[in-house]
Amino acid sequence: MSATDEGLHGHDYDDLAPGDEPPAEGLGAAVRGYVLGFILATALTAASFYVATHNVVWEPSAPAALVTLAIAQMGIHLVFFLHITTGPDNTNNVLALGFGVLTVGLILGGSVWIMDHLNTHMMTLQSLPAAGGAEMSMKP
Amino acid sequence: MTDAPATPAGAPPASALARRPVDPHALGHRTHGGHHGPATGHGEGGPASKRITVAYGFWLFLLSDIVMFSAFFAAYAVLYREYAGGPTGRQLFEIPRVAWETAFLLISSFVSGLAAVAMQARNKLWTEAALLVTGLFGAAFLFLEMKEFAELVAAGAGPQRSAFLSAFFAVVGCHGLHVTAGLLWLGTMMAQVWVKGFRGTIQRRMMCFLLFWHTLDIIWVALFTTVYLLGAGA
Amino acid sequence: MFGKLTWQAIPYDQPIPLAAGAGVIVIALAVLVWITVKGHWPYLWREWITSVDHKRIGVMYCLLGVLMLIRGFIDAIMMRSQQAAAIGGAHGYLPPEHYDQIFTAHGTIMILFGAMPLVIGLMNFVVPLQLGVRDVAFPTFNSVGFWLSAAGALLVNLSLVLGEFARTGWLPYPPLSETTYTPGVGVDYYLWAVQISGIGTLITGVNIVTTILKMRAPGMSYLRMPMFCWTSLASCLLIIAAFPVLTATLAMLTLDRYLGFHFFTDTAGGNQMMFVNLVWVWGHPEVYILVLPAFGIYSEVFSTFSGKPLFGYRSMVVATMLICIVSFMVWLHHFFTMGAGADVNAVFGIASSIIAVFTGVKIYNWVFTMYGGRVRFSAAMYWSLGFIFTFIIGGVTGVLLAVPPADFLLHNSMFLVAHFHNVIVGGVVFAVFAAFEYWFPKAFGFRLHEGLGKAAFWFAFVGFWVTFTPLYILGLLGMTRRLQHIDVPEWRPWLYVSAAGVIILIVGVVVQVAQLVVSIRHRDELRDVTGDPWDGRSLEWATPSPPPMFNFAVLPDVRGEEAYWGIKQAALDSQTLAPEPEYQAIEMPRNSPTGFVTAFFATVVGFALIWHIWWLLILGLLGAYATFVVFAWRDLHEIEIPASEVARIDRARRQARIDWMRDNPGGRPA
Repeated sequence: MSATDEGLHGHDYDDLAPGDEPPAEGLGAAVRGYVLGFILATALTAASFYVATHNVVWEPSAPAALVTLAIAQMGIHLVFFLHITTGPDNTNNVLALGFGVLTVGLILGGSVWIMDHLNTHMMTLQSLPAAGGAEMSMKP
Repeated sequence: MTDAPATPAGAPPASALARRPVDPHALGHRTHGGHHGPATGHGEGGPASKRITVAYGFWLFLLSDIVMFSAFFAAYAVLYREYAGGPTGRQLFEIPRVAWETAFLLISSFVSGLAAVAMQARNKLWTEAALLVTGLFGAAFLFLEMKEFAELVAAGAGPQRSAFLSAFFAVVGCHGLHVTAGLLWLGTMMAQVWVKGFRGTIQRRMMCFLLFWHTLDIIWVALFTTVYLLGAGA
Repeated sequence: MFGKLTWQAIPYDQPIPLAAGAGVIVIALAVLVWITVKGHWPYLWREWITSVDHKRIGVMYCLLGVLMLIRGFIDAIMMRSQQAAAIGGAHGYLPPEHYDQIFTAHGTIMILFGAMPLVIGLMNFVVPLQLGVRDVAFPTFNSVGFWLSAAGALLVNLSLVLGEFARTGWLPYPPLSETTYTPGVGVDYYLWAVQISGIGTLITGVNIVTTILKMRAPGMSYLRMPMFCWTSLASCLLIIAAFPVLTATLAMLTLDRYLGFHFFTDTAGGNQMMFVNLVWVWGHPEVYILVLPAFGIYSEVFSTFSGKPLFGYRSMVVATMLICIVSFMVWLHHFFTMGAGADVNAVFGIASSIIAVFTGVKIYNWVFTMYGGRVRFSAAMYWSLGFIFTFIIGGVTGVLLAVPPADFLLHNSMFLVAHFHNVIVGGVVFAVFAAFEYWFPKAFGFRLHEGLGKAAFWFAFVGFWVTFTPLYILGLLGMTRRLQHIDVPEWRPWLYVSAAGVIILIVGVVVQVAQLVVSIRHRDELRDVTGDPWDGRSLEWATPSPPPMFNFAVLPDVRGEEAYWGIKQAALDSQTLAPEPEYQAIEMPRNSPTGFVTAFFATVVGFALIWHIWWLLILGLLGAYATFVVFAWRDLHEIEIPASEVARIDRARRQARIDWMRDNPGGRPA
């Protein structure tokens, strides 16, 4: 466990720590990367809020549009702020992220699918069209 | 070691190699030159540097944190229509406030990236300034969120009212707790940078903090989209 | 002042927990007094409690696991004896409220505080040695993780003397686990013990994955790693992916209990089925977290004691990683009967059957490893062969249960109980004992007595089958699990046979302890002089027994799939060792009390939360934060071992091997 290096980029040739910028860039390029990411993220955020509050897309497709914009913005964060790219020096980081995404997908998708079936088949109060599940006015 | 800069530290110099029979199973230093990258899929290089190891380990922890959030999201997805005769998201959520919260957190994330650049430039003043601004915008985000929670509770729409509100407070509150912990960490980091400068341990911790802070913003993107924008009845 | 804690918390009216608790306190105090009188505290503090050495931490994890395994076994003895005694008009000796706590504690302790620490301890000890590196990626964190696990175990055992434990079964299903139906502290003990030790487990997961992916000896590519490292990687990836779900789910239940939330309540829209769903999202990967390292242990044992490389290494790797991924796609088979419907059940039933195929691949590979080899029937091999037989049957009953219509008849019957004990005991427990026999010499420098080890195996093997075969039959006869009283007289003979099996198991435990005692007494005759008592194939056998703090004087240069085998072969062929390497000073991480102190405050926080002592909670949280800050402010992280010291230790290692070769010309170790 000898301490190999303490330096900023460590002269690691084909592996990057997650969050590390490629060492070749200078400071100016680094700042520009963050600025570009910020502008893109702001644009996507504004678009999300606009889609949600105005009638710009066909109503039933609004959730899909919002989710798409959200995924795009997460991608912007990953690339511009976290520097997680698909370069060969980032393979481990991307694989780990992929594993996490797979897990999240299984948990969310699986749970929603299963619970939806359970609620329907077991006739829980909430799944019945009458009392309990419907929207009501703001009563304490 | 004397000469031969191409050979790894500790290996016999190349001239010695020519004389000695090469033992392919030597339990010792490598007798050949070669690629000295850190352990990757090929593993030729031996253990990776601390910078990579620490950051990767923290990245794994962050992924586990994202999985934990997804469990809360799953609970929200199951319970988000359980109003129990109480208020709904459409009635409760104020989009303008969410927009401000989103802006503050995004600016905070962006400025923290500038702190990383300042650290790269070894500029203590700019690093501390950027960290301070990061913290201020983060605190502003938290302030708005706590205000929202307080108002909801005062209006009888606290987490005890319905399963929907329980799930809402849990998933948004979990994120808020992470932001709070992050601000505590940020304060500690600012103190450490001030006192200890930019030595290796401090840099690695900063890297971890920045990873954490950016990831919180990514989770907020998911939060404001699915909970607030969709929940307000897009 | 003390929240809900009053003198009534001590179970004056229940003789059994009172006596048990008193007994444990007396023994613990006796041990502490003995240590003090003999003056061992400085040594213990310096060498063990504050150690960040993965080998020490691994041993402590295993010790914790063994102690808790014994406690869980005592719970099992009580359960079997109660069921044998309480048939028809008889009532046994355990009232229902107590019996319910016992089966809950049995499951919780065995899985979370017995098997997990044992498996984690083995991974901690072995993986860095097999990878040819000096420690795990985050040694101080490793210590924190261990002590947090110990803190969780302490809280569970505290419930014996103060308050009560949960009565819900080892997974606290609502609504029983909600405050409405469990207003007492039992579920709270469970929640905080599991959450605190869960943090420790997550730390281990991150540590080991990072070590395996980022810290290996030069030349050790992924496909040159020993199989135990692959299975440890898969298991720890599962820890990272699954434990957060448990954390979140238990947190939701905690919010319900403490702050009146409505995740799982039966009013205001709570959904109790969601608890079952989310907790098994964790629960299924959890059993693979336990069994995958066990599979790795068997891979090591089979190949070493057959004198052959593992058969089908690449297919083993593929099977392992496929098990890792598919284990996240089968969780619904734990609640087929909850009512998700035929299509959902079918999908998960098929996935559960598919995952058995990968394990089948592994079993074939182990058997083919033995084929054509010169098999040595050591005690470790006995356990491994016992596993093959036992686990195949257990796995097959699992595939049977994976068929939803069959499961509708057998869910929560004794058949299910027999099945999961079959796979956990046959798979994980047998592996732990095999690993104990196999790696004990490496950890402590002397072998274990072979004869007693084999005898212990036979008692365990026969005892297991005598105990659990009747449970399969009882399940098919319609007996459900967790019964405190038996109404059906036809079940009597089977319950008696099962209780007799427990007696055989008790003898096995005694013989196993005897093996340890006898081996310690005869340790000089059993000394492992060379560090390679089994003619091993992987790098841990290149070190002396026990390895020095830094493991390897110089990191090995890995040239082939079995890193140590080639080196050893060359040395034996030439009857000389490779030339002495160039020794350099080694930096090792410094010992730290951080882990112990953090766990102390974690225990305080857990206790305060359980008993609603809010001022104590704040103190505990402040203490934990202060510990973190103090550790973060540390300036000196490493100690340096001078080159002369490294040289001295390594020369002793080399000399022992040269002497052995001189005394055994042309021979092989073991």
